[in-house]
Amino acid sequence: MPEQGQTHSDEVILKVTGLACSYDKVNALKGIDFYVRDLEIVGIVGPNGAGKTTLLEAIAGTVPVKQGQIEFLGQRIERWPVLHRRRQGLMLIPQDGNVFPAMSVRKNLEVSVILSRHAQRRELIEYAYELFPVLWERRKQNANTLSGGQQKMLAVSIGLASNARLMLVDEPSIGLAPKLVTRLFETFLKIRQDTGKTIVLSEQNIKVLNIADRLFGLEAGEIRFDEKTENLSKEAVKNLYLGRVE
Amino acid sequence: MLLNGTITGLIMGGILSLPVLGVAVIYGITGIPNFAIGVIGVFGGFITWYLFPYNMGLAILTGVAACFVVGYVTQRVLLTPISEMGGDSTLFFIITVSLGFVFEGIIRAVFPRPNISIALPRLGTVRFAGYSVEAFKLVALGFAILTLVLIRISEEYTEGGKSWQATSQNLKLAKLVGIGTTRVFSIASGIGCALACVGAIFWGSLYNLDLSSGWDLGFMGFIVAVVGGIGNIWGGMISALVIGMVMSFSGYFLSGMWQSVILYAIVILVLIVAPKGILGSERSL
Repeated sequence: MPEQGQTHSDEVILKVTGLACSYDKVNALKGIDFYVRDLEIVGIVGPNGAGKTTLLEAIAGTVPVKQGQIEFLGQRIERWPVLHRRRQGLMLIPQDGNVFPAMSVRKNLEVSVILSRHAQRRELIEYAYELFPVLWERRKQNANTLSGGQQKMLAVSIGLASNARLMLVDEPSIGLAPKLVTRLFETFLKIRQDTGKTIVLSEQNIKVLNIADRLFGLEAGEIRFDEKTENLSKEAVKNLYLGRVE
Repeated sequence: MLLNGTITGLIMGGILSLPVLGVAVIYGITGIPNFAIGVIGVFGGFITWYLFPYNMGLAILTGVAACFVVGYVTQRVLLTPISEMGGDSTLFFIITVSLGFVFEGIIRAVFPRPNISIALPRLGTVRFAGYSVEAFKLVALGFAILTLVLIRISEEYTEGGKSWQATSQNLKLAKLVGIGTTRVFSIASGIGCALACVGAIFWGSLYNLDLSSGWDLGFMGFIVAVVGGIGNIWGGMISALVIGMVMSFSGYFLSGMWQSVILYAIVILVLIVAPKGILGSERSL
């Protein structure tokens, strides 16, 4: 694993400027400015249909960009295909369809290390097993036979195995029991600690306040706020989910 | 007669299973129904026939390689880009059928004869239980089974096979984890067309090949693949063998004229009972 540490270098590794995307003729994003610093955990919050998923997918390259720029590690990537962005060090864990259903847990992880050097592959897979021992127990089972929580763990492990520097995770808490949400969120902190990854989460769960350094409020495809977590109250975040704007 | 019919059916099914495997591989991985696959296979069969007098091995290799290249290139420059732009099944039907006619036209224009048969060596006969079968036919069946086993083994143990399986199960995630899905698509299409070519060569040596054989092989391949659960390789194989049996036995019990009536009635019945095919499928047509 890369060197440990959690000191923010203040270096902006992802910078989105004036991003506009439309989805089925609806303007899902209307000129978003968004940035992520190295080693940050950033939460994108907002009600359903706010454009959280579209923002993450546009960054990963699975949704086309209509207007604006995406800069990642000094490169303009908004016209790049998914694979090039992936090689540059960016990985999205989608909200649905985030495992290979009829493949064993082990094979799911084995295809996810495909871009890494052979020497490193085993280490990456072992780290995922160490983080989620239940996946080791179920390594021979097909992904579609796992419980919802275990599938989520596998999805996160696929993201980890891919060894990207920036991990985008679309609503990891959805469908999980409250206890599991807390544990999963703590795992993200550990992942940053252990691997030096930068993490962006889209979330509707208020617990995201406990782990994010910064929250980015999105509503109807527009920015509502961009604040350090310590300056935000639970109420302000909750208001956004109810659609009220301060 | 039972044994007789079973063996004929198995062999028919085995040969049929090659274009079926081709269809299953292409559709299972790319999600694009390529109706030109049979005609492309027959195109390769004609190449093999043309070069056959010079050197048999080289002729077969050239035909099969040509089909691989045609499958690879058409996928890369035509079908994948259209699929990325969001082409639907109707569009692909029209485009791939047109592609089929293009290759039918090429066969007509390039080769001196429109009706050929390929004289593969018969390899003598094998006898058991008082029945004899041409060893050559067993080779055809064996080739189909071997191909199937090889595909399964590579899916289990090779990086290419795993990425290929991953691509067929979840294209978006496959792209996200860094699999070169465009290349996987092209290779799958190449292999599919190459398999169709091997099928056409066997077909051309048991029966004969003409301009319409490609459509017969291609559509038959599709129907068998749909019955087995399209994209499901095992389902396709089982379905090919079952349909081979049906063709063989309907030929024994009734006159050959009723064969297609019985066959397609069974196909329709199976699809009413199991719309996703015998073994089901992750995809639907």
